[in-house]
Amino acid sequence: MHNRTQTTSQDSILSQLLPSSLRAAIIASSYWVLSLSLTSESGSVAAFVGCLFSCYLIDGLINRPPLRDLRLSVIAVFTLVLLCVGVFLSSVITGSLTIASLIPPLLTYEIGEVLQWFLFAAALTALLRTLAHRTSYGRVTEILFVAAAFVITLAAHRQGMIHRPFFIGDYALTRGIDPSSILMALGCGAVLALAGLLMMENNHRRLPYHFTVLGLLCFSLLAYVQLFGLPSPRLTDDLGLTGAARAEGSAAEQDNPFRDGENDASDKEAPVAIVLFRDDYEPAGGSYYFRESAYTEFNGTILAVTDRDDLDEDLITHFPPVRADIEEPLPLPDKRQAVRTTIGLLAPHRTPFGLDTPVAFENTPNPNNLRFKQTYDAYSMVPLLEFPDLIGRTAGDPDWTPAQRQAYLELPDDPRYRELAETILQDLRPGYADDPYAKALAIKDYLDRNGSYSHKNEHAYAEDPAASFLFGDLTGYCMHFSFAATYMYRSIGIPARVGIGYSVPASNRAGGSSLLIQAINGHAWPEIFLDGVGWVIVDPAPGRTLVDMSVDPQNSLQQLLGDMLRDEAAFDEFISSQQDEPFPLTVLVQTLVAALLLALLGGYVVKVYRLRAPQFADPALRYRLSYRATLDMLSALGQRRRYGESREAFARRLSTMTPSFATMTASHLYAALGPCGSVPEGIKAQPRLPLAHAPDQAQDHAATTATPDWLALQNRIREEIGSHIPWWKRVLAVLDPFAWLRTH
Amino acid sequence: MTLEATSANAIESTIESANENVEVTETADRSEALTTSAPAGVAAQSARLQQAVAVLNRLSGAVRSQVLGRDDVIELAIIALIADGHVLLEDFPGSGKTTLAKALGEAIITPLQEQADDVAAAIVPFRRIQFTPDLLPSDVTGGSVFDTSTNSFHFRHGPLFAHVVLADEINRTSPKVQSAMLEAMGEKQVTVDNTTYRLDKLFFVIATQNPLDLVGTYPLPTPQLDRFLFKITMKHIERDAELDVLDTYKTRRDQSQQRAHGSLHQVTRSEVLMAREVIDQDVVIARAIKTALVDISRNLRSDERVLQGNSTRSMVLLMPALQVLAALRGRSFVSAEDIETLLPRVLGHRVELAPGVADLGKVLHDCMREPMEQLARTTLQ
Repeated sequence: MHNRTQTTSQDSILSQLLPSSLRAAIIASSYWVLSLSLTSESGSVAAFVGCLFSCYLIDGLINRPPLRDLRLSVIAVFTLVLLCVGVFLSSVITGSLTIASLIPPLLTYEIGEVLQWFLFAAALTALLRTLAHRTSYGRVTEILFVAAAFVITLAAHRQGMIHRPFFIGDYALTRGIDPSSILMALGCGAVLALAGLLMMENNHRRLPYHFTVLGLLCFSLLAYVQLFGLPSPRLTDDLGLTGAARAEGSAAEQDNPFRDGENDASDKEAPVAIVLFRDDYEPAGGSYYFRESAYTEFNGTILAVTDRDDLDEDLITHFPPVRADIEEPLPLPDKRQAVRTTIGLLAPHRTPFGLDTPVAFENTPNPNNLRFKQTYDAYSMVPLLEFPDLIGRTAGDPDWTPAQRQAYLELPDDPRYRELAETILQDLRPGYADDPYAKALAIKDYLDRNGSYSHKNEHAYAEDPAASFLFGDLTGYCMHFSFAATYMYRSIGIPARVGIGYSVPASNRAGGSSLLIQAINGHAWPEIFLDGVGWVIVDPAPGRTLVDMSVDPQNSLQQLLGDMLRDEAAFDEFISSQQDEPFPLTVLVQTLVAALLLALLGGYVVKVYRLRAPQFADPALRYRLSYRATLDMLSALGQRRRYGESREAFARRLSTMTPSFATMTASHLYAALGPCGSVPEGIKAQPRLPLAHAPDQAQDHAATTATPDWLALQNRIREEIGSHIPWWKRVLAVLDPFAWLRTH
Repeated sequence: MTLEATSANAIESTIESANENVEVTETADRSEALTTSAPAGVAAQSARLQQAVAVLNRLSGAVRSQVLGRDDVIELAIIALIADGHVLLEDFPGSGKTTLAKALGEAIITPLQEQADDVAAAIVPFRRIQFTPDLLPSDVTGGSVFDTSTNSFHFRHGPLFAHVVLADEINRTSPKVQSAMLEAMGEKQVTVDNTTYRLDKLFFVIATQNPLDLVGTYPLPTPQLDRFLFKITMKHIERDAELDVLDTYKTRRDQSQQRAHGSLHQVTRSEVLMAREVIDQDVVIARAIKTALVDISRNLRSDERVLQGNSTRSMVLLMPALQVLAALRGRSFVSAEDIETLLPRVLGHRVELAPGVADLGKVLHDCMREPMEQLARTTLQ
């Protein structure tokens, strides 16, 4: 018999080693993954090693004397202390000047990280493993921890964001894989393996319990994601890592506007700015044009933003400190409408933009620094020109110097532009053959009919992308169309430039006074200069489009941002309703502390009540209340009846400590189960023990009287306990507020 | 005067004498407290109970003086005797079961004044039947014999007409004889030639069977097993007790021979009947106890490790046994620990376990935990 158990235990050691090693490896890898984004490489390795060490330590020693005799709470407190010691030591090492002066600072930092992460992993693993060994829910907690470690690391990688650990992202991105899928696969594998370990345990009764808990957790997680969505990654605007900040406005800073990368469609809805109309205005052409800048000066290869003072005098190059008026006088004042708009920038811009044609910019107080990068008023004189106003004008300003005129007419040294333009203009009616505006419209019409809109940037690396587009497949986006048109206008002597800014369909405004500019509204268009009018937008709109340019205009966001720009309160409301709020940690902590204090207070009130109740209660109930008070007292000392144990057996177990408790138990049972119910009313109040106990107990309970004085008995038990239990345990017992909860 | 009337009178007179005795005998100190604080009715009740327990203690003392090292079995046998049940001993030859049965039978005497009424019944204290395959029912029950002097049949009582009957190796006899035993044990009567003869009120069977030597046996059918209150598996007695047996066998043999002449450790038949009556009436079984019993039974029956659970009859039989044990332990009410003590003994031969399940103790422990916990909690509610 004895031999047999030995051999089986040897077998089980072998068969236990494999799963426990596997489990240790999985948990350790989850520490590794968790620590990757939080610490240095050596810290991660330390976390891994610490976890392995702790796993084997606990698995090997949990059933041996030093650990076996410790209570779960003691181990838990010890591990928590160890955790705090790790953090403290690390901060001491890294914070100490003496240590840093002895060894290099980097090494100091590494040592601190290694120490902290080793102790952190070891302590937490010890706690998890102990829970898994001692409690039924512990193994589920472990799985949850592994899953959480992977999810935390994974969440940072969502939507292709670049995040630590970089090597995963690098590996994935160079191969065109979403890095999150790699982590997802790793995490799934780890959780599956742990679930498999759960199944390998020969405890079939617990298995359904574990999987029910696991299933419930997964389900609630799913429900949470369905209801509230995944937590959104933080915007890293300053680094320009998210698409939201990479608005069209910053394209002006680039050398080659065509090489602005692939037009990623994923963030086309990203809000860029909100425009608040202070005056009533509807555009005739169906779109609001906001000019931010213009490509005017030909630098030998391409049009670029000019830094010459004598060009583009209607534009300003930077945000004004207070107010900036554009000095350039505007012709045709009677054909223009003054429109004041307030613009709140949601993404940073280098230059202010305004509704065509801005005459002044003025900074306004920012109602919300968190939301708006900048707010300003733009005063525009919006042209209300109709065809007759534009026809019959001459191109260019007669006041221009030859140098200015030359600058507006420069184009790549490519005769094909002129040839194509002249071919197009052959069909123009004789009456308009010399009219610049009619010519411009004819060229626009050519592009409208023959061009195809596409986000594909096939021409970006051609020597002249515009030529490659125009004489090639005529497929491109606004930048191609506007450059091609501008070059053709210039080739036939019409001063032209590429306007940069935003073009928003009028329908987006949806009747409100605010207009949301989204990333997709970024636009470039050709403009020609007509004498007596100024810059006129002649925007080609290709008839064929290969991409779906429709986006959700986000009317509610538009409305709310507009309200917010007007009034801060509405914004706060919007924030609280739309954004995932930062976790109110202090409130939570305060609530928790308050709840804890309340619970403590309640615990003590109930404790004192139950202890004192027998003294005031009806004597007929004393058998119950007094016994309960005694049980509470014993429970506080850690002496509790086991589940299913009879009261007599419990009393016998304690008989060496307090023999009177057995007497009390006997009296109590007599009152509870005895003939009281069947005897006349008057006797009820006097439960008695008429007979001797069984022979072995008779001596102990010789003092049992017919009607025990419950209170005296209670005091006697207290004295007996007092002489058997060390004082500090009694103090702890007095302090324990919830011992009565475990009294049954 | 019929038998019933006699015993009823005897009980009443005993109770009265008990009431008088109580105050002056060994429990005087305690009864003082009783009589001063409690109404007379309760005092009388408790005194009666004390008297009954005293009878049982005397009885067990008598048996214990003959059978050494088997106190637990003696206690169970006495419980079964008072609870009107029967006992099946499972053990090996020479373990003292005959001695036990004989001591028990001989400890109960019928005084001469009572005997007068029992002459016709010819009840003897103790009979032993060695069951063999060729035994016939009439060998056990008795049969009609033709009396040439009166020219008529008259019934000759068989060995069943005794207080204590030792049915040795009961599984060796044919089902026919077993069925006669079945009727006797269940109904306390035998029927011969269509005439029913009542057995003694104290009729108590101690049956034995050898669990190992099964060749040529007729295993007891389940209904008959169900009629035994306890099945007791005896183990070898301890070393010291065995040494005592050898040391004292002479003394005990002499005592046994003196029995006929009456000794200190004897109880009368009417005293035993009185004890049975008093315990039945005065020991309370709370509803919570019954609830626990029913719940345990139901748990057992629904447990997948159990092929067939225990019968309702087993619970009915258990109740008086619980009362006796409670009285022996000095309580006037049945408590949880009585269930803990007796339930395994009562269910051991009634519960059939599923194939592959060996440990009834564990199954029983699992099934008892929850109802017992509920029972313990009721006392605080």
